Amino acid sequence: MNRRMSDDLTLFGVRRMMEGVIPPTLCTASPDRMPNVSYLSLAEYVDPLHIALSFQFFNRSRENVLATKRAALTLDDPYTGAGVILQLEYLRTETEGPVFERLRAKLMGVASHAGMDQVFHLRGADIYRVLELRRVPGRRELPAAEPRVDLATNSRLLSERLANSGELADLLDTLLDGLGELLRIDNAMLWLFDSAQEVLTLLASRGYEVGGAGAEISTGDGIVGTAVREGVPIRVGHMMNMARYARAARDRADALGFEPVLKSEIPLPGLKEPRSQLAVPLRARGRVLGALLVESKHDQHFGYDDEDALMLLCGQFAVAMSLMQPPEPEPPAREPPKAAAQPPAGAAGPAVQLRRYARDNSVFLDDVYLIRGVAGAILWKLVGEYLRSGRREFSNRELRLAPELRLPDVQDNLEVRLLLLQRRLTEQNAAIQLEKAGRGRMRLNVTRPVAMESD
Amino acid sequence: MALTQDIIDLLGAGVAHQVGGCTKDGRPSLCRGLAAELESDGRLVVILSAETGFEVINAVRDTGRIALNLTLPENYKSISLLGRDAVVSHGGATFHDLVQDRYQKFRAQLDVHGIPPSYTEAWYLRPDEDLVAIRFTPFSARNQTPGPDAGSALALTPR
Repeated sequence: MNRRMSDDLTLFGVRRMMEGVIPPTLCTASPDRMPNVSYLSLAEYVDPLHIALSFQFFNRSRENVLATKRAALTLDDPYTGAGVILQLEYLRTETEGPVFERLRAKLMGVASHAGMDQVFHLRGADIYRVLELRRVPGRRELPAAEPRVDLATNSRLLSERLANSGELADLLDTLLDGLGELLRIDNAMLWLFDSAQEVLTLLASRGYEVGGAGAEISTGDGIVGTAVREGVPIRVGHMMNMARYARAARDRADALGFEPVLKSEIPLPGLKEPRSQLAVPLRARGRVLGALLVESKHDQHFGYDDEDALMLLCGQFAVAMSLMQPPEPEPPAREPPKAAAQPPAGAAGPAVQLRRYARDNSVFLDDVYLIRGVAGAILWKLVGEYLRSGRREFSNRELRLAPELRLPDVQDNLEVRLLLLQRRLTEQNAAIQLEKAGRGRMRLNVTRPVAMESD
Repeated sequence: MALTQDIIDLLGAGVAHQVGGCTKDGRPSLCRGLAAELESDGRLVVILSAETGFEVINAVRDTGRIALNLTLPENYKSISLLGRDAVVSHGGATFHDLVQDRYQKFRAQLDVHGIPPSYTEAWYLRPDEDLVAIRFTPFSARNQTPGPDAGSALALTPR
């Protein structure tokens, strides 16, 4: 007769045992009760009553589970040595959706860590009901590791700082600086989702040799793309091959047919050998606006608690960002149009060449790729207007109404695009700079003559 | 059937032991084992903790069926040995030295992966009176190295 433990365990409480340092072990049995023991790549918490296990191969375990619907699973705590055993009932196999995508992204991380990314393939996420959960008795458990920070308190502090941010640039810097200062997350990138172009554009980063503002990756690859596509956080505790991102960016450029002489690829920031990554979607008003990617040189640096904290902070950030579309000011009195001046006053030295490719509004300054898409179209319009009339100040309202910019829809966040453009120009130390000139307005600063050329 | 030499070698190489069973009413269970070795009569003896492995022990008593999984951390080589004549008996101090030998070898394997001895001890250090021995004749071996052929049969030697 089986002894039953009276642990007050919950599946939620043992989530961290599903981190993959010590592989979960599965026991199934054939209809004639012959047991089969095997290791799994991944187990994933689904909800308080359900767990998902990776289904990669048609093997004996698979055969047994389909025949009997029963399995037992053991999980080991990677820090304390504690263990739990679960009795499971197989329900179904999912081949799409957020659980499947989370498992697939994690498997990709595990596989690349082992040099097996071309071999490992997730066929499905097997969903099980947890019938029993009990602690493995008789283990000499170690004390749990000290938490990196007081996550709840420090997240609250960061949340308060975000709530006090009145401008988008301040909001962005507050988030990224606060991650390092308060949560000890020193490597972070904030990506924006461009639904029209189906790409992710890097708005800002912290902790890397290159800033990378304006760099693009496809939405189809990597854990950032998956987090955006599925609107769920993705956490990988093992090394992730950043080359995937670089390849994704390169593939995108190739598909758009850039001339090889003009490389539009902005160097991607990123750790050379990240051991842990966590991508958290920026969700607001029913949409995914982008994602935050944080990473570390250490295995298992981010736990479920980090995931929960960053989900809350990123949600707050996303709502604030989406609301920072300022109310449209009355059209201000314009600067009196000046007679076209070539160059306008203040610009001196040899001319810089601003070249645009109309098919995707990619803009190059002296053959160095700057930006594309709506941000590229904005820059082209501002500089053109400046050269025609000498005007340097512009309102967001006129940009929003400008038909040539073709802003995708009213929810498109013009402020974010302007901030991206501003940061890209700053990073390039370009002869053309953009700065805020009051609420809903911006100013163009041009230090050298500009020659414009479009295809 | 008899074990091949490479399987016998694997028993002493510092492997992790996982022991599986299933009751007559179809309830699977598993636990970590502490040691295994080949006995002179061709049977395998696997040692486990009575406290940790009570459910597996009960299942083995129930059906006589057992799966012993051996996995070498350094290369993930993994095999399972199956029995259907398993018998449970008291282990005790007789197996103290065997458990210590297997523990030292397993610990050396995990040291390479950065897992400290204090962690391994959480699994291994059991009092002698807690040791249980399960003996069985392996009738089948399965490859359990992760991959598409996990669960496929491995050859054993006719006795």
